[in-house]
Parts: sequence; C-alpha cells; structure tokens
Amino acid sequence: MRIRATLTIALLTASTAAALWAPARSAARLLSRSWTSRVAIAGRSMEPALEDGDWVLVDPEAYAARSPRPGELILVPDPRAPERVLIKRVATTSRDGQLTILGDAPDASTDSRDFGPIAAEAVQGRPWLRYWPLRRLGPLR
Amino acid sequence: MDLLRALAPRRTAHAHCDIPCGVYDPAQARIEAESCYRIIEKYHASSDEVFRARCLIIKEERAELTKHHIDVMWHDYFKPEHVEKYADLHDVCWKASKQASQVKRTVDLEEATKLLALIDRIDEMWKGTNGPAATRLPAA
Repeated sequence: MRIRATLTIALLTASTAAALWAPARSAARLLSRSWTSRVAIAGRSMEPALEDGDWVLVDPEAYAARSPRPGELILVPDPRAPERVLIKRVATTSRDGQLTILGDAPDASTDSRDFGPIAAEAVQGRPWLRYWPLRRLGPLR
Repeated sequence: MDLLRALAPRRTAHAHCDIPCGVYDPAQARIEAESCYRIIEKYHASSDEVFRARCLIIKEERAELTKHHIDVMWHDYFKPEHVEKYADLHDVCWKASKQASQVKRTVDLEEATKLLALIDRIDEMWKGTNGPAATRLPAA
C-alpha cells in the first residue's frame, strides 16, 4: 500500500510539474521579451484604460502570427512622424491589412479620424500589462 | 529611486491629442502673403530708411506666418486620400513653404507673386476636397 501511495504521489507530482512547466516557460518568455519593450504613456487619449504616466509592458510578438483584432490595443509608429510611437485601440480591420485605430477618449485623441487607416504590418506590439503605478498593476483590456 | 530608474521604460508611447480645432482655410496664408506683397511695394516706394527698415522687419514676420499657415494646411488639413486626388499636393505645399522663405530673403515683388500663386493652388485643392464645407462654420 505504502509503495503504491508513494508511486501515485510521485506520478501526480511529475505530471503536475509537466503540466505547469510549459505555461511557466511561456510566461517567462513573454515577460522577458516584453520587458525590453516597456513604454511610458504620455497623454490622455486612452483614458480610462491607460492614464498619462502609466508604465506598460508591450508584447512585440503578439501580432507576429496574426493581425490585431478590433478592440485590441496596439503600439504603432505615428504615420505622420514615424519616430514617435502611438498607443491606440483597433476599431476596424479590413481584408487588405488596413486598421482603423481610435483613442478611447475621442475628444482627446488624434487618430485614424485625422491620419486615416494604418497598415497592420506597421504595428509593433500589444500593450498587455500595466506595471506602474503598483496600485493599478494588472492586465490591460 | 535607483530601482525606479531601472524599472522606468526607455520609450514613450504617445496617447496625445493635437487638439485639432478642425478649422482650416488657406485664406489665412493668403492674407499674410498679401501683406508681404504690399510691404514690398511700400518698401520700393519709400526713400525713408527707417520706414524701409520697418518694412523688412514686418515682411520677415509676415512671411514666417505665411509659412506657418501653409504648413498647417499641409500637415494638418490634407489627408492621404487628398494626395490620391492631387498627385502634386506634396510638391505644391513644399514649394509654397520654400517660396515663403524666398519672400523672407528678398524684396522682389515677383517672388511674392509666385508665393500667392502657390497658395492659390493650395486653395484649389482645399476647395476640391470639400474643405470649405468640412472645416469652416457656415456664415451666421
């Protein structure tokens, strides 16, 4: 009996570890690649989701295999001044890879209403976690 | 504080608003360019050195304002679809901006005339892209 119980526990432990190993590893990868592309938010066009001064992590590979979908946050170069990056939300997508992007606070946003649609392939990543200020730490929607 | 500095992002993502009032009219550039034209005329008509010096100073300012208003049309009013309609849009705006600089440099009436003609081209494109109805308030 004792041997059987020990074996069962050992098996359970091993399978739990295996089950946790893959997600833990992918979470670690996500964190490490996002850490190198963390950005500070400047401006109020994404309130209330993002506030001026928030620090967020951006996954640079989120849209490597697929295009951003409506409702998702994106980091993209400003089409009028490509050395600046913008944070906006995808409003609509088109079949030819164009995205209409809008700020969450339309009255305080300069977006596709001004500069037109942007190319999906220009998108640099998906902001997914606010890590500062700590009291508002958490995933972004 | 050092920890915070280590955590701080290296890049800034802009979630800004340019607060565009949405009111655009090449007339603003045109009026400043007309000022330049008239000032150059007055400059040549006068023999008073003080007056002529003032003319140059005012012309400098007005030409700078002309350039600013041309740039606002170019950067803020015109959209990608307008460029599709007017293939020479960038070229005209660029030349107009440069011509405004030229008017700053000289007291040649011909240069001011060229500037007015380029602003009129911008005006045509503004009108051709529904600019008056889309950006100006109707008369009360």
